[in-house]
Amino acid sequence: MIIEVKNLKKTYEALVPVKVLKNINFEVKKGEFLALMGRSGSGKSTLLHQLGLLDTPSSGKIIIDGIDLMSLSEKQKSQFRLKKLGYVFQSYALLPELTALESVFLPLMLDNIPKKEYLKKAAKMLKKVGLGKKLNHLPQELSGGEQQRVAIARALVNDPLILFADEPTANLDSEASLTVIKLFRELNKEIGQTIIMVTHEPDDEQYVDRVIWLKDGIIKKDY
Amino acid sequence: MNLKTSLFLAFHSIKRGNKGTLFMTILIMTLAYVNLVFVSSIFGGIVQAINNEAINNQYSNIVITPAVNNIYIKKNHAEQRLSSLPGVQAVATHYVNQAIIKYDKNRDGNDIQKGRWTIKSINPKQEEKVTDIYKSMVAGSYLKATDRNQIILGRDISGAYGSDLEYLSLGVKVGDQVDVYFSNGVKRTYTVKGIFKTKNTQVNQSAFITKGEMESVLRVYNRSSEILVKTKNISSEGMVIREIRRSGFKTEDIKKWSALMGFTSGASKSFDMISIILGAIGTIVAGITIFIIIFVSVVNKRKQIGILKAIGMREGTIVAYFVIQALFYGLVGVLLGISLILFVVRPLFISNPLDFPVGWVSLKITFNIIKISNISLLSAALIGGFFPAYKGAKRSILNSIWG
Repeated sequence: MIIEVKNLKKTYEALVPVKVLKNINFEVKKGEFLALMGRSGSGKSTLLHQLGLLDTPSSGKIIIDGIDLMSLSEKQKSQFRLKKLGYVFQSYALLPELTALESVFLPLMLDNIPKKEYLKKAAKMLKKVGLGKKLNHLPQELSGGEQQRVAIARALVNDPLILFADEPTANLDSEASLTVIKLFRELNKEIGQTIIMVTHEPDDEQYVDRVIWLKDGIIKKDY
Repeated sequence: MNLKTSLFLAFHSIKRGNKGTLFMTILIMTLAYVNLVFVSSIFGGIVQAINNEAINNQYSNIVITPAVNNIYIKKNHAEQRLSSLPGVQAVATHYVNQAIIKYDKNRDGNDIQKGRWTIKSINPKQEEKVTDIYKSMVAGSYLKATDRNQIILGRDISGAYGSDLEYLSLGVKVGDQVDVYFSNGVKRTYTVKGIFKTKNTQVNQSAFITKGEMESVLRVYNRSSEILVKTKNISSEGMVIREIRRSGFKTEDIKKWSALMGFTSGASKSFDMISIILGAIGTIVAGITIFIIIFVSVVNKRKQIGILKAIGMREGTIVAYFVIQALFYGLVGVLLGISLILFVVRPLFISNPLDFPVGWVSLKITFNIIKISNISLLSAALIGGFFPAYKGAKRSILNSIWG
């Protein structure tokens, strides 16, 4: 198993504490394409954030690739995110001053990969997501779908163990959404990329291996 | 922290960011720098102008006055003895007397103007080597060694020529006759040979007659009330004073010109204080400008910062990314500011010094002023850039991405 989640709980402390995740348990196999679904407020994004080391659970365990994430320091978490995880968000939030190629090689640069290698790898990844001819385009010269594909290439360029996607098609039109979701499926099939994706779209079910349906912070269905 | 990545991001932000913002930021930094250097330099220039006037027209470099309880310096051939000392360029001896000068315009006993002023005697040729009075004649002519019944007056005694003390002056012109009542009771009538005007008020309230004339009035010879010593360079004043002492002037009072400048010493301190206050305000404004620019940039890039953190960028790298931009603005401001000061403002002031009542004022730009201004502006950029960057980088990933 690449991910093991045990008794995971997340409560947001407020005047009245809000229990968002209530005792979540599941496992994910390597190469699985998993969709986290549910209504707004069901806890699906919160769960993704805990798995992706973007937030800290109130209790429970998350083990990724045999490493207990709760035992990592902030510095180790940064390194873990850089080396083992990839993210695609609803908002692609590319730096406006960087070209597609520069945005994609940034994680490799952070990892001190030699220039020759990171240029080659980033170009290859952009080609893979269908942007081989737009390497030197700035974000404002790309459509929303293309920008999201740059974000996907950025997420995948360092060969992450797991790709986390938080409603990656929410800001895109139907055509661009389909392109992105098909790209995920392709990457999952071709390179065995493990993907965990939060989505609202019922149509997305046909592209994934498995769906975890959340309701009020608990797993209602796992199919 | 990954400095290489910070530099990469900062470089591209500057290169591909909004050119108008870049231009305005650099312009503000440049002007802030020019302001820092200019304020300090102009005050330094004013003090220097006052000092130059004192050296060139009043004290020269060193002033020797009689020992306590003595009226005169009793050294024979003092001029020759002092002139031969190492470091000495020229020497001028003076008799100094407080006298009443009267002007009876119609010589009929009515409408008499009078006042008490300082009259000094000079050896005209020797004086030319020590002070610039001879260059300051605005009417008539300078004295000759053989002149006897002639006097030259400062403009504050004669009146006119922009006198600051017109109401106290005699209202005389070149060629008029004045009666001088010396402190020993001797009265002489002199023809006004010339009127001089310097930027030094004390000098403008003096009158000069020749040494021979004064000796005949005072009935003393080969003495002096003060000796001005001009040194070859200002830095050798201390050494020359030691030489003067060694040459036999044991009991006389010997002072550098600077010791006699009570007013400018106080003014200099006040100017320093004003300069520090104005400089601090300029630096704070520059710092706040940088703060606002980086703050706006951080706010606009809030989501990007969150995602950069999510993909593994450390907080230090993000902070450095913004601080490098801030330092770049500061550094370019310093470089352009120095160029503007050295190649435009300074030459402009050298060719067109300001006509201040205390002297011709130019900029006195010192290495220290440049150093302090550089440090001030770069520190302002560093601090102004650091705080918004740190605050932005410290936000949690989720907070940055979703607000």
